[in-house]
Amino acid sequence: MLLVILVIFAVAPAAPWIHRAAPRLSGWLLAVVPAGATVYLLAQIPEVAAGNAVTAAYPWAPGMGLTLSFYLDGLSLLFGLLITGIGALVVAYTGAYLKDHPRAGWFQAYILLFMGSMLGVVLSGNLLSLFVFWELTSLTSYLLIGFDHERAAARESAWQALLVTAAGGLALLAGLVLMGVVAGTYDLETLLASEDVFREHGLYVPILLLVLIGAFTKSAQWPFHFWLPNAMEAPTPASAYLHSSTMVKAGIYLLARFNPMLGGTDLWFWLLTGFGAATMALGACMALPQNYLKRLLAYTTISALGALTMLIGMGTELALKTAMVFLLVHALYKGALFLVAGSIDHETGEKDITRLGGLRAHLPITFAAAALAALSMAGIPPFFGFMGKELMYEAVTGDVAEGAILGGLALLTNILMVTVAGLLVLRPFLGARQSTPKELHEAPVAMWLGPALLGGLGLFIGLFPGFTAANLIAPAASALLAAPVEVELVLWHGVNLPLLLSVLTLAGGAAIYWLRDGLGRLTAPLAPLTNLGPERGYELTLAGVLGFSAWQTRTLQNGYLRRYMLITVLTTIILAGGTFVTRFAGLDSIVLSEVRFYEGVLAALILLSAVFAVWTSSRLAAVAAIGVVGYAMAIIFLIYGAPDLAMTQFVIETLTVILFVLVFYHLSRFAVYAGRATQFRDAVVAITIGVLMTVFAFVATQIQFHDSIHEFFAERSLPDAHGRNFVNVILVDFRSLDTLAEIAVLAVAGLGAYSLLRLRPKRKKGS
Amino acid sequence: MNLLVVSPILIPLTAAALGLMLWRWRRLQRLAGGIGAVAGFAAAVVLVATVWRERILVTELANWPAPYGIVLVADLLSSLLVLVSAGMGLLVTVYSFASTDKRREAFGYYPLFQVLIMGINGAFLTGDLFNLYVWFEVMLMASFVLLALGGERPQLEGAIKYVTLNLIASAIFLAAVGLTYGVAGTLNLADLGDKLAETDNPGLVTTLGVLYLIAFGVKAAVFPLFFWLPSSYHTPPVAVSAIFAALLTKVGVYSMVRVFTVLFLHEPEYTYHTLILTIGVLSMITGVLGAAVQSEFRRILAFHSISQIGYMVMGLGLFTPLALAGAIIYIVHHSVVKANLFLISGLVHRRQGSHELKKIGGVYLACPALGLLFLVTAMSLAGIPPFSGFFAKLALVQAGLEAEAYIAVAAALAVGLMTLYSMTKIWTQVFWEPAPEGVTDGAAFPDDPSAGPWGMVIPVAILAAMAVALGLGAEFMFRYAMAAAEQLLAPAEYIGAVLGRPS
Amino acid sequence: MELVLAIAIGALYAAGIYLILRRSIAKLIIGLALLSHGANLLIFTAAGLERGRPPLIPEGQTEAAMPIADPLPQALILTAIVIGFSVLAFALVLFLRAFQTVGGDDLDDMRTTDT
Repeated sequence: MLLVILVIFAVAPAAPWIHRAAPRLSGWLLAVVPAGATVYLLAQIPEVAAGNAVTAAYPWAPGMGLTLSFYLDGLSLLFGLLITGIGALVVAYTGAYLKDHPRAGWFQAYILLFMGSMLGVVLSGNLLSLFVFWELTSLTSYLLIGFDHERAAARESAWQALLVTAAGGLALLAGLVLMGVVAGTYDLETLLASEDVFREHGLYVPILLLVLIGAFTKSAQWPFHFWLPNAMEAPTPASAYLHSSTMVKAGIYLLARFNPMLGGTDLWFWLLTGFGAATMALGACMALPQNYLKRLLAYTTISALGALTMLIGMGTELALKTAMVFLLVHALYKGALFLVAGSIDHETGEKDITRLGGLRAHLPITFAAAALAALSMAGIPPFFGFMGKELMYEAVTGDVAEGAILGGLALLTNILMVTVAGLLVLRPFLGARQSTPKELHEAPVAMWLGPALLGGLGLFIGLFPGFTAANLIAPAASALLAAPVEVELVLWHGVNLPLLLSVLTLAGGAAIYWLRDGLGRLTAPLAPLTNLGPERGYELTLAGVLGFSAWQTRTLQNGYLRRYMLITVLTTIILAGGTFVTRFAGLDSIVLSEVRFYEGVLAALILLSAVFAVWTSSRLAAVAAIGVVGYAMAIIFLIYGAPDLAMTQFVIETLTVILFVLVFYHLSRFAVYAGRATQFRDAVVAITIGVLMTVFAFVATQIQFHDSIHEFFAERSLPDAHGRNFVNVILVDFRSLDTLAEIAVLAVAGLGAYSLLRLRPKRKKGS
Repeated sequence: MNLLVVSPILIPLTAAALGLMLWRWRRLQRLAGGIGAVAGFAAAVVLVATVWRERILVTELANWPAPYGIVLVADLLSSLLVLVSAGMGLLVTVYSFASTDKRREAFGYYPLFQVLIMGINGAFLTGDLFNLYVWFEVMLMASFVLLALGGERPQLEGAIKYVTLNLIASAIFLAAVGLTYGVAGTLNLADLGDKLAETDNPGLVTTLGVLYLIAFGVKAAVFPLFFWLPSSYHTPPVAVSAIFAALLTKVGVYSMVRVFTVLFLHEPEYTYHTLILTIGVLSMITGVLGAAVQSEFRRILAFHSISQIGYMVMGLGLFTPLALAGAIIYIVHHSVVKANLFLISGLVHRRQGSHELKKIGGVYLACPALGLLFLVTAMSLAGIPPFSGFFAKLALVQAGLEAEAYIAVAAALAVGLMTLYSMTKIWTQVFWEPAPEGVTDGAAFPDDPSAGPWGMVIPVAILAAMAVALGLGAEFMFRYAMAAAEQLLAPAEYIGAVLGRPS
Repeated sequence: MELVLAIAIGALYAAGIYLILRRSIAKLIIGLALLSHGANLLIFTAAGLERGRPPLIPEGQTEAAMPIADPLPQALILTAIVIGFSVLAFALVLFLRAFQTVGGDDLDDMRTTDT
């Protein structure tokens, strides 16, 4: 299985070259790869249908729990076939759709990369590797939506989609890691076998919420749905593939896959069913007023995703089976309809159904395919879609809490589905011919093959459901329930409630189709309300974060060096001072050596000079004060037995003073810039840190954990290092590395000063 | 005396000295710098390989026994960091060959660069506290000069802020060293670890630790001590920014790790879980929010560095083996990726003449290869798998959740989202959006359709490949990092190796 | 004496920090010089004051006569003094160049890299 995915990933980067080499055939050539994958998956049907999962594992980062393991059971097989099968058709379709586009090869590359990633998601047998592929689908989706990157709308929609799905992705990561921490493993097979590890655990609620955020953002559940209609900026093949058949179903896959581990609780039921049903109904309602083909399809996709979520949430055996059936139903008809929309756009140059009509004559095959798909969407027998609808009605009217509400919502949704199906097919293809920007002719083979196949399958499976039921639906549902089930799909169940509801659906759908314009006029005043939705919330949140960031940056990093230093010093005071004051155990004893007169004078001199340097307004006086401090220190060094140190201090201090004078000669007079309040504040801060340092210094003289190591130097300098002056020996021998580095600093400083003075920027013209 | 351990200091020193002696001949200076970089890298590889076998190598300089002489200690962490510094030094030197202007080269750019590397290596390898201070100063001094070299006004202004804030930090560091010696009587890290362990005044020792934390915190640019970084990182030539971003702040982080794992183990609840963890989280948030509102390529990257440092500090704050391993992986990942982003900004600047996002655009169409290199690197920074950043973040998230530090993990993930926001903002405005009026891509070099001169493109490509390799080969990195982390958390091994006792 | 010197150290730090917080770069650098002195004095004081003899062995003898001053902090301060001087010298030149480029010593005029 790894090989399959790797091949797809490997071919992807080659796509641009293949396209350049054979522009007419590249679509067909590249489609061979996913077609091959489809064949491979089909070959696995016997094994999987028998109830055995096909697995493989390759280590990637086992230390962190990330193994590239694969787990192919009924659920992954169903999804996998959708991904590779529809993928093959889309790749071939793209070959014709983007025939003249200069970057068509890149597009194919992105599609293939996406395909590999999506396959990785559904085939993954390890939670972390699932996440890796999950994020890759977000990334490739971003590249695909923004493919037409010269247009601002494409860029913005791509960005929005990425941010929303990535935010969900991060929540998902937290949830997955928590699952790993709780269960002690990330291996899917193991997790599926262990009962109730999560449901009983204290962290169940956070885990569930995090995983749901991930799934809901990816699968466009309300309130995270708004990115999906905007993603229609992508070229149509991408929309057909990602945003109806595969990527948005990733969330559904996740919910289905995790049902055995996290499902079955009340919280699961209420959250999934609630949000799912709401999305289902809202999506359908929002679809009704749309006039652009792709937007109609986008909103109805949102509705379908909601329905799937709801069914998984309901959790009964029938509901889960229905979910799998509906998954396949929807993928077939929606994929076909999207491709048809693309064909219409490609051939006529028009996207608005109010401006299309009578295309039947010029695009007969496309029309046939569209009709097949639409009939399945409307749920008319004997199409597969009819079975799906019946099963849904059966599931919601069965033994389920709030079944009446769910049933009502389902009815409403399906009515609108019928209407939209009519809008999609009847308006453009039937009726009077309207003028179009482009010359009309039938789409090329590559572009009607896909819809025809998918639409045809909708009819075929409706008539002969046995194979599909036993080999695709049953294993998938078994995976969901973690127990083997049988699935029987029959067209006629007898006259019962679901059948009545179906009749009602058709009637209602037709009625609303005729009344649509009138309804539109009635509800027109309500239109501004749509701006208050979750998308607005997203925009406000983003704006809020950015506004806060701007304020924060302006306040903290405002350009004033003294602000920076004030904060640094305050931090020192608060942290170091705070720690000391709260934690210091106190001094046991205080030992003070006596203060001799001249020593006291010297110390006082230092203190006074420091204060003088602050207070004076003469530059030279300030420099002189520094000099006094230095010399006084040198004498103190002398008194306390440090003659070398004293000598060095004298010399360096003299040099310093000279250097200061040389530089200050060029600088301007001291000026006082700050007001009294600032001076006072700064003085308080400065004195505080002075006090802190005094305390620290004093405490350090009183406390000694250990004798210092200097005895070694006293004993060993002469015999081993052959030196009498211990300080010199330390500098030159014991700690020579320090001296080496010190000289390096000096050299670099000299070099730096020289370069600063000599290397000046070139004068720009006119400055 | 083990020359292998000394070589990361000796080789750049020789190269710098040689370069200074060859002051008159610019070409020979380049040669000296280049040979120094290559030799340094080779030595670092051998060092890491040896340390992986031996676990820890100690050299007593001039054969004076510890704690009386200065020792250099190459354990798993320090040798890894030496390798990172040597590798980045080599790649940025190559990039500098193609991108640095002649005047800067004539005033000692390459010798300065080698001194910078020497200081960094010295700081990584030393086992003595005062020696650490001295190497800090070497590194700082070289960076001061590299930053200001050229004398342009933004450089000078940035340099002033950089110099003063770092001088304050040095004054605090020196004070802390003085206080430490006054209290413990020794400067050797291992010896200090021994002597400070049994003390009846843990509060005082913790206070000392806080002083070091502040001093290193300024160096590492954590909250609230980071101000020098956004003021100055974007002012020098891109190669200098790149090597700064790769290494300078890491020395601060390393010192924090070293000092807090060997010396200040007294009150872990307070130091780690409260203080350091909070600082890490606040750094993460402040940095990324600052980046979100910038409109200049390099300033975005500068602010991001603060945020990424926050992650590393968070790893230290959690103080479990997995967390420290995550921090180590993060250090390596960030050096590679952040430097590469700076280098790429240089390539873009070369094509279009500006770093302001609003004034550039359409690079993807003009040069898809450059776009791809940026995309890989930027997605790695944002933590998208399968690149290096994902594994670094994963380790930290796992460590955080295991340690029940839920707020920190939530912050880490949210910051990751905002990182993605900034990176895609650059991608959108620089690569996807068409160039604004009046800007022609590649106008300066109409006859050259490639991404740039080989000297600039090859390092970028290598670094991007590393971002991928570290991701695909994450297991290897993880195993090394875990070994290093466990070694850090058992200071008895370090102390024993240095002081010559069986650990 | 320890107390007296500790107070002097505090004064140096206080004066240094106060000057660093000023807007004029000339005052800033004076503050840096004072800060540097304060740090050196701190090392000296904290290490322990020994009013004893210098740490060396006089000619003709084989051992130093105890008690001697601790040689180690002296070596450290020596190194620190030289390093401090190097940095200060460079900073002086840097500030001079900044002054010449900007045309004044007011730090508030030097904010272009942050805005």
